[in-house]
Amino acid sequence: MEFDWSPEQQTLRERVRALLQRELPPDWEVLSRHGPGSRQQTEFSLTFCPALAAEGLLVPHWPREWGGRDASAWEHFIIGEELWSAGEPRGAQYMNVNFIGQTIMRFGSDAQKMQHLPDMAAGRSIWCQGFSEPSAGSDLASLSTRAQRNGTDYVINGSKVWTSYAAMARHCFLLARTGGPGKGGIAIFLVPMDTPGITVRPIPSLIGTGDIHEVFFDDVVVPEETRMGEEGQAWPIIGYALSHERVGIARYAFSRSVLDRMVSLLQARGQFDDPVVQSQAGKALASCEAARLLVYRVVDQRTNGLPPSADSNVARVAVIAADNAVADFGLNYLADTFSGLDHPLHLSHHERAIAAGIASGAAEIQLNLVAHEYLHLPREARPA
Amino acid sequence: MNFEPTEDQNAFLGAVQRIADRHRSQSLNGERFQYSPMLQADLSDAGLFDCLGVEELGGVAAAEMVIALSQLPVCAEVAASTLVGPWLCPELPGPYAMLWGAERTARFLPEARTLLHVDAEGVQALALQPGDSTPVDSIFAYPMGVLRELPDAAWMSVVGADLARLHQCWRVGVAAEICGCLLAGLKSVVEHVTHRRQFGRPLGSFQALQHRLAECATLVQSARWLTLKAAETGHAGDASLAAGYAQDMARKVAYDLHQFMGAMGLTLEHPLHRWTYRTKLLSNDLGGWQRQYAAAARQAWPTRHPDKTQTHHDIEGATA
Repeated sequence: MEFDWSPEQQTLRERVRALLQRELPPDWEVLSRHGPGSRQQTEFSLTFCPALAAEGLLVPHWPREWGGRDASAWEHFIIGEELWSAGEPRGAQYMNVNFIGQTIMRFGSDAQKMQHLPDMAAGRSIWCQGFSEPSAGSDLASLSTRAQRNGTDYVINGSKVWTSYAAMARHCFLLARTGGPGKGGIAIFLVPMDTPGITVRPIPSLIGTGDIHEVFFDDVVVPEETRMGEEGQAWPIIGYALSHERVGIARYAFSRSVLDRMVSLLQARGQFDDPVVQSQAGKALASCEAARLLVYRVVDQRTNGLPPSADSNVARVAVIAADNAVADFGLNYLADTFSGLDHPLHLSHHERAIAAGIASGAAEIQLNLVAHEYLHLPREARPA
Repeated sequence: MNFEPTEDQNAFLGAVQRIADRHRSQSLNGERFQYSPMLQADLSDAGLFDCLGVEELGGVAAAEMVIALSQLPVCAEVAASTLVGPWLCPELPGPYAMLWGAERTARFLPEARTLLHVDAEGVQALALQPGDSTPVDSIFAYPMGVLRELPDAAWMSVVGADLARLHQCWRVGVAAEICGCLLAGLKSVVEHVTHRRQFGRPLGSFQALQHRLAECATLVQSARWLTLKAAETGHAGDASLAAGYAQDMARKVAYDLHQFMGAMGLTLEHPLHRWTYRTKLLSNDLGGWQRQYAAAARQAWPTRHPDKTQTHHDIEGATA
């Protein structure tokens, strides 16, 4: 076992930090306060991501034929840690490089790969994820948005809700029902968001401007070429995508960096000599570092070619705890910094922490998966 | 970054496991603890206590060994013999008992051959003679003993003892032992709720239990990886984090494990109490989780005082 970075990995980390120093505007913290889904941050991502791509730092883990250089999952992760710690200047594009791109690469048609991957690799592609519906959140398999076949087209009707990044997105990774009920009746569509019949309404929320939306599909006609995989075959593909998504965001890294800032502030105020404060800071720190190690273990497994496992759910539970531990520490000892705009990072961290256990599958769904797939506890009987 | 043990570490842990397996089925004596001199002797005879100083094995092998052996219902003194004795006082024989500050009661004292007393001044050692300590009944699942008053001349100073390293190693040992105990406890509870049926279905199929057990699993795995990292890096801050986290989660996990074992967990015939009542004592070592976390915070974010060349709290007193 080894818990240190190689010199090459350390050099990469420093390269990313230097790039951030160079590319982020002086008012970045205020700008990033609006959240990755905001107009401000999305627009910034469309200049930042091409700069990252030009340095070979956007999709290094992708194969060469799709603009990467076959770098290890660790490289992608180091870059992700640094960028998420800085407030995620990739905006919504982190989703492309964490899981949407890989999923299209693995399950998409040649035409879909040609259509979507080059734009993602160049850093000029914004996607949203059309999963949750008013009656299908945690119970995703009960979704009811329907894609009805009509010759060589599909006609989509239904609605999605709490959809991150939808207002600025150019494409939607959409789940819709083509068959009967349950997991076996779902298909995936890669839908251009400017298709007639799509309406996006922002939902005012606690988690940043423009972050979540309602998306309505009214007789939206898309050609069958937009379907990824076969009808009814979506569920394993979704599982693959989510296994990358669950640990793809280095939330603990942002939490750790915000915790460092909070402690610096307490030290400057002369409030860090209190052993109670020290103890609570240590508790939050332990939570961040535990989450980091559990996520690293998943990355290590991925690097060694092992299939996705319930370790990613264990890691996600720990990541959620870390986000909340730091948010609670801030509220306990620096409550005054959550009013006004003097400490924008505290505010944006707080907003991300309250969403951490809800977005990408609720914390309780992760606990279900840990119970079944990791501890192998018997499943709860379901109503017939 | 590599989370897989090396071939040498795997071979070593295989040897540890073979000894553990031989002792796993020792019949339980129906008491609150069961010290196994045979296990202690087997480990010693096999030379396993020397792993920390072997370059190819190191701290990870030492911590994994403590974790593996703490999962047995019977106990032996492993943490001090593996993580402390070989570098602090290799000439003094184990098993060891450790006394910190003003304490007079210690685990393993009735079975130990050497007592190490640690305070801010340093480390004193005592070659234990019959009658130096009195076994005492205890709720904790260790052989507990009380030290009698002894003349100063009975003690010998461990010259040049590195107190910072001692704290670091002991914290790793405490964290590893807690992890081992709770891994074993969790496994036994998962087995119990999988087979025990109530209301016409396995207890473990109720979500109320599943979520809490899933949280327990996450907490124990978190502690385990913090411990292995601390064992590998040898950094004081990593050790404080690992010990703090393990001590912090131990009470919650032990509580849940007993809840889900129900009345069976109140009996002495089931070994759950052996594991949980070790962690209840381990959770207080070195002042408990709050002190470890505070130490970790000072190590992560040292406060520099302009009139001092050394960082505040850099060197811990023994009772920190």
